[in-house]
Amino acid sequence: MKNKIIIALFGIGLLTNISCTDLEEEVIDESLEGSGQAEAISGAIAPAYGQIAWTWRHTNYYGLQLIPADEAILPYRGGTDWYDNGKFLDAHSHDIAPSNDLVGSSWNEVTRNISRTITAIEVLQPLAEAGDTQAEGALYEMIALRAYLNMLTLDSWGLAFRKEVSGELSEILRGQEAIDYIESELLSVVDIINTSRGPGRITQAAVWGFLARLSLNAAVYRDPYGTPDFTTEDMNNVIEYTDNIIDSGMFSLSPEYFELFNDENHDNPELIFALDQRGVMNNEHSRWAYWSLAGSWYPRPEHPSADGTDGPAITSDFYQTWVDAYGDVDPAQADARFYQENQMIPAELQDLTGVSPENDEDHYYCVSADDFEINRGIIRGVIWGPRKDENGAFYTCDEGYRIYPVIQRKGNGPDRDVDYVNHNLQVDFTNQGRLHKNGYRVSKYQFSRTSPNGNNYSSVDLVLMRLAEIYLMRAEAKLRTGDNAGALADVNTVRTSRTARPAQTPEALPAIDLEILFRERGFELYWEGFRRGDQIRFGHYEDTWTEKTDDNVYHRLFPIPQDAIDGASNVAGYLEQNEGY
Amino acid sequence: MNSLTIKQLIKLTFHTFCFLIVLSLLNPVLAADARGQNLESFKVDLSVDDATVVDVLRQIEDQTDFKFVYDRKVDRLQNTYNIAYQNVSLKSVLELMAKDADLTFRRINNTISIDVKPKAPKRVVEVVFLTVTGQVTDENGVPLAGASVMEKGKGNGTITDFDGNYTIEVENDAVLQVSYLGYKSQEVEVNGQSTINVQLAQDATMLEDVVVVGYGTQRKTDVTGSISSVDSEDFNKGIVMNPGQLLQGKVAGVNISNVSGEPGAQQDVIIRGVGSLRSGTTPLYVIDGFALDNTSTGVPTNPLNFINPQDIKSIDVLKDASAAAIYGARAANGVIVITTKRGKAGRTQMDLNVSTGFSSLANQVDVFSANRFRQEVVAAGGTLDDGGANTNWQDALSRTGFTKNVNLAMSGASEQFSYRASLGVNDQEGILRGNDLKRYSGRLNLTQRAFNDRLKVEFNMTATRTENLRADSDAIVRDMLQLNPTLPLYVDGEPALLDNMLNPLTRERIYSDDAVNHRILANLAPSVEIVKGLTYKLNLGVDYSSTARDIQLKPYSLLEDFVRGELNSIYTTNKNSLIENTLTYNLMTDRHNFTFLVGHTYQETFVHQKSFEMEDFSDNGIDPKYQDQISSEDMPTYMNTYATENELQSFFGRANYVFDNRYMLTATMRADGSSKFGGNNKYGYFPSVAAGWNIMNEEFLSDNATINNLKLRASWGRTGNQEIPSKITKRSFTDSRDNNDSYPINGDESTLADYPYGTIFTRLANPDIQWEVSEQLDFGLDFGLFNNRLSGTLDYFNKVSENILLEVTPADPVQPTDKYWTNIPDMEIKNSGVEFSLDYHSDYSKDFSYNIGGNLAYTKNEVSNSPYEVLTTGAAQGAGQTDATINGNINGEPIGAFYMQEFLGIGDDGLSILSDDRRVVGSALPDLIYAFYLNFNYKNFDLGLNFNGVSGNKVYNHTAMSLFSKGLLTSNFNTTSIATQFPEEDITNSNAVSTRYLEDGDFLRLNNATLGYNLNPALIGLDGLVNAIRLSITGQNLFVITDYSGFDPEINSNLTIDGIQTFGIDYFNYPKTRTLVFGLNVSF
Repeated sequence: MKNKIIIALFGIGLLTNISCTDLEEEVIDESLEGSGQAEAISGAIAPAYGQIAWTWRHTNYYGLQLIPADEAILPYRGGTDWYDNGKFLDAHSHDIAPSNDLVGSSWNEVTRNISRTITAIEVLQPLAEAGDTQAEGALYEMIALRAYLNMLTLDSWGLAFRKEVSGELSEILRGQEAIDYIESELLSVVDIINTSRGPGRITQAAVWGFLARLSLNAAVYRDPYGTPDFTTEDMNNVIEYTDNIIDSGMFSLSPEYFELFNDENHDNPELIFALDQRGVMNNEHSRWAYWSLAGSWYPRPEHPSADGTDGPAITSDFYQTWVDAYGDVDPAQADARFYQENQMIPAELQDLTGVSPENDEDHYYCVSADDFEINRGIIRGVIWGPRKDENGAFYTCDEGYRIYPVIQRKGNGPDRDVDYVNHNLQVDFTNQGRLHKNGYRVSKYQFSRTSPNGNNYSSVDLVLMRLAEIYLMRAEAKLRTGDNAGALADVNTVRTSRTARPAQTPEALPAIDLEILFRERGFELYWEGFRRGDQIRFGHYEDTWTEKTDDNVYHRLFPIPQDAIDGASNVAGYLEQNEGY
Repeated sequence: MNSLTIKQLIKLTFHTFCFLIVLSLLNPVLAADARGQNLESFKVDLSVDDATVVDVLRQIEDQTDFKFVYDRKVDRLQNTYNIAYQNVSLKSVLELMAKDADLTFRRINNTISIDVKPKAPKRVVEVVFLTVTGQVTDENGVPLAGASVMEKGKGNGTITDFDGNYTIEVENDAVLQVSYLGYKSQEVEVNGQSTINVQLAQDATMLEDVVVVGYGTQRKTDVTGSISSVDSEDFNKGIVMNPGQLLQGKVAGVNISNVSGEPGAQQDVIIRGVGSLRSGTTPLYVIDGFALDNTSTGVPTNPLNFINPQDIKSIDVLKDASAAAIYGARAANGVIVITTKRGKAGRTQMDLNVSTGFSSLANQVDVFSANRFRQEVVAAGGTLDDGGANTNWQDALSRTGFTKNVNLAMSGASEQFSYRASLGVNDQEGILRGNDLKRYSGRLNLTQRAFNDRLKVEFNMTATRTENLRADSDAIVRDMLQLNPTLPLYVDGEPALLDNMLNPLTRERIYSDDAVNHRILANLAPSVEIVKGLTYKLNLGVDYSSTARDIQLKPYSLLEDFVRGELNSIYTTNKNSLIENTLTYNLMTDRHNFTFLVGHTYQETFVHQKSFEMEDFSDNGIDPKYQDQISSEDMPTYMNTYATENELQSFFGRANYVFDNRYMLTATMRADGSSKFGGNNKYGYFPSVAAGWNIMNEEFLSDNATINNLKLRASWGRTGNQEIPSKITKRSFTDSRDNNDSYPINGDESTLADYPYGTIFTRLANPDIQWEVSEQLDFGLDFGLFNNRLSGTLDYFNKVSENILLEVTPADPVQPTDKYWTNIPDMEIKNSGVEFSLDYHSDYSKDFSYNIGGNLAYTKNEVSNSPYEVLTTGAAQGAGQTDATINGNINGEPIGAFYMQEFLGIGDDGLSILSDDRRVVGSALPDLIYAFYLNFNYKNFDLGLNFNGVSGNKVYNHTAMSLFSKGLLTSNFNTTSIATQFPEEDITNSNAVSTRYLEDGDFLRLNNATLGYNLNPALIGLDGLVNAIRLSITGQNLFVITDYSGFDPEINSNLTIDGIQTFGIDYFNYPKTRTLVFGLNVSF
């Protein structure tokens, strides 16, 4: 018996000793080869296009272009609002450190976006070579998209990445090398890329547009810290590419300026390239719209959690450019691009003398949700909107919702709960200037009706290139090559095309020079991500405005994020910090 | 054999388990004993005709337990007998035959021997036994059950009963030998006394004799590695929720810091310095031979809370490579071997242990009082929002936490079987409301021997239910520090409404986070001695854990972000199974002692977590976790899941050789294969060698009365660290249409179903990934002087870790993923240092005795040959702090050095002046870690004081950086005076990471003080019922001496970036507590 047990135990031991395993890792919670749900072509290009919206998120590349320019300022509003370790304060005053999160997150998203185009190209190239024409078409778009994204890194950091194989190290290009690389990439596809998939995908017109932008800015890209030397060759290129677009006849200027930024803007014939948002996906964002608006404001009666954030306001300096241009006439009356009045507040309610949150219970007008639309453009003074009762629901009336003057609910200012949100001109970093109500706000993009919270599920396409910019680029190229008349004609074509509200259609200008063109680009393209580049190109980036006094030319380019520098420190001399940081 | 068969085998084994348990429980524990009566009292019935002596003897044997022992001469005797007696005494029968056949009968126990024709004229040895009774007790007078009482030179003996009493019949001039395991044997001359009480003294050398090493035990004198053993008597007292707390400050070179004041909080356990950049610096825990997997079990606090510290007998810390290398790829962070209590031979007892404790906030942070706040807000340029009250939010949001512990253990053993069963209920309340840790634990340890001890089966099982209710401590700590102190707590009986913020009193009502964990750890280890010295042992074990955690926010209509209510339900299951075979051969001669061990282990771990996120619950008074809820388009339900399976297969061997108790040599080798490693590196090899010299056994010292112990040790070895995430060697991509992974490619998409899936790379392949390797050199000296009154250990070590594995930002910014895993070529992390421990005790036999001692470890840590200028970690938290870092790993500097800009003051513009570059401005790791203790005994009283401290490190006060700024003060948030230190500071100045918030982290803590009284049960009339009663009062964290301005300098908010561990950052840490515990121990 004893022996049997011993033998049995020994047997078990031997048995388990045979239990050698190959130690192959069994991965059970993910499919290493994908789930098979993606198709090759759409699976390759959808992530590359999809990422652009994140690249251009308000706290990424959009904010990085907006806040350092003279058109916007985002002060620390107090409490927990918009301090963010000073990243917006530093961005505005051009005191940006390599650890600044606005720079870091922008860099991360753009570089990831480039990587996604490379991944797509690696998938599409063999398919295209095998004769798949659909893959071939997609491949051209990805090459163009990669070039476009490299233009963004060149514009902001002064470098571009040449990378063909995902496993290899990118070649880092600066200056003329970078320009040549991007140009050759765009030229390699411009004649063979599609002409019909816009504006949601890159078309021939968009590639012409990119080429025009590259040529227009080449002087800056070549010598980022010097005085730009605009060559005739570059300018002629701009004229050639913009001519191609304008002469194609495929695009026309929108009579109503603000329709360019509405829920339905996808079909607007002025758009050349725009991020297609249909209100279906969570990350189709409306942040360009809600960011600037008052935190106490609820722009959609259907969505009681969709409010503004008291984010950036336009600077008083930028506002002054409108006042200077139109003199005695209020810009809202003189220029359709400045303002669109959608809230018809009955005359008898407009005078708020003696009215306060204490006694204004009946001081409202009634409107259905369908008919309610907040004013657009630059928002000044007291704002009106739905008001919440104690339970957080909007007050209603027979035909819909009661629209009251909006009570200041945010912040710790003296006006909180006792006064209305009254946007004033002063906005700066001082205790008085940073209050939640301070600063004129920009309501350029429609507060999307499909977004339940103001952030996501927006149907507004993010406009990245439209015909007006093309005209203005051509105008600038003509002006810089001495063709003042041609330039004036192009500028006036844009101004006089906004005919939907004839009373506010801007009048044609009598004359043009670089300063007027710079101002005009501001009026047409404000808050679309162009102003920083414009200021550099027109020599105004070292000017002084609101809280910005820095005049260090090295600050034209942003610092490379510290994390990227640290990460590359194992390859000597590979990624060097930009001068001045 | 594939893994399926292994599963089946394990299953089968556990059916066998259950069977064995039942069998074991049915085993008769006590056997009857006929010793002690004399022959006169045995009656027999005899009815024989013509019977020989042998025939008579056989009849007697049939009727009694006696055996007769005789040689052939008795067979040949011709004497015959005709007897017909009823109930006659055995003695008279034997006397009859003795006279008749000239025999002498001599009885020893149940054996009666027969001499034919004896020289002496004795016929029946009427051995007159004297009945001796008495009690055997230990040095404290506690009765020892199961002590052996033997008559010297005879086979006669007995064992004491439950009360330590014995009765033995011995010859008048006998000498009694009294012995008990772990005590010094005593000899007592009987000299006609009928009552002999014996008090045994503990045998210190016996207790220390055996040390648990990997896959076996070793005599302490033979050990060549650096192993520190801590016995249960020396464990930390008070409220102790996990093994780490028992050990804090007890072992030189083992730094255990409690990173927060939360009950059962996570700990940093660092043995001999940090040898890895990643979070995997936790040592390997081996419990009764079962190696735990350190993967999270989904319990947010310390995973070892499931072990009841009351069940632990001893903890051995394997510090050097020689000791630890037998655990190979998991041993680079050291190994902690936990041995649980088992039944003691012959001793049957019950122990009841009851304690109750009170914890409160140990220190408050010096934020402004309401009155001071009123001045400071205005002075800083803000508009005061005066709520008219005078509130101390730190008082208002903390409480006195009550702790209750009840533990009952039963144990006993016979020669072949021992058992110990225990039950524990522990309930510890945190000092924040809504925070409570309850543990219900049971443990059963059995040992059964058979076949003359050649088969031995050990069984250990513990089953635990842990209920962990947690508060949103980050938010509460933030609130208690920064809320406006002029605000009232309540308005009209309801928590005051705060501007756009949740009142913490409301949060307490709507927030809860409860995790319930069930865990069973069991192993069955049969071993069999095949031939003398050769033992085969099989060890089968499982560790099952399942955790359900619900984090909920009840709907709260008065604040926008909280209207809908939220629920996050997380389910985690873990499975870890082990099959282990070892073969040990021991050869012992007079001067040579060889031990060889070879073994194979296979361990398989499985982890699965599902996490559900739901939003939008009805405000109907029912907790979201108990509500039905349907996913809507608006508020979809998300399930996130992960599951990983890992295998570890190892082959190992060890050879020990001891010559003449003087020279020792140990060599080990382990080959470890892990499924986590890349295809190109499946197996790693981990050798070690060590030598020892017991100098005190040399002749020249053998007569030395002063030196009792002197041993030199030296060792070298390699260990590995395989605590790396699963799957990182494999390339992976997913199909996704979440977030930004898809796009309306066709232009006619109208629902999500129309959107194409995007193919997204989530990970790049790296088949070369392997374990980290630590190579360690150790020199040690153990000594004992003056009858071992003064003893100590001195060790020098040098540990170099290579193949540092890390997730890094790629050099090329253009990558599909932000980070990738790689072994960093050439990079080394060096730890070298000196450990010293010293202990002195006075004569324990005196009424007053004392014991003082301590340990200290000086460790130098350095990163070298890193190809990176810096690897940053310590992610600054809070809006806008993304990418801001606090720690950096830089060549020539210690791991996690504070790396930041220096704060130089406030400039004319009111903004901070910072140095241009980031610099190394201090170490997060202390140079020196020390602990010391003072123990006093006076009669039945004892007092123990344990201090511990560190020096040479800094603490980054991230809490101050986040909260205490002038800008926030003007916005009516409270601050300390650090915010108003510079009158010229502008309110827009940003709180960038800088030395402004870096403080000294040195501290000295009275960690633990215990006053105990051993009450003699006789004094309260319980003698005979109760063996021992002990009353104690313990204070924990009674004071801390430090310059640090936060709650406590011993903290770590591990704000990792890419899994790079950080130290010394205080970010809304749960405040430390001060605790008083009253305890009562009764054993009976």
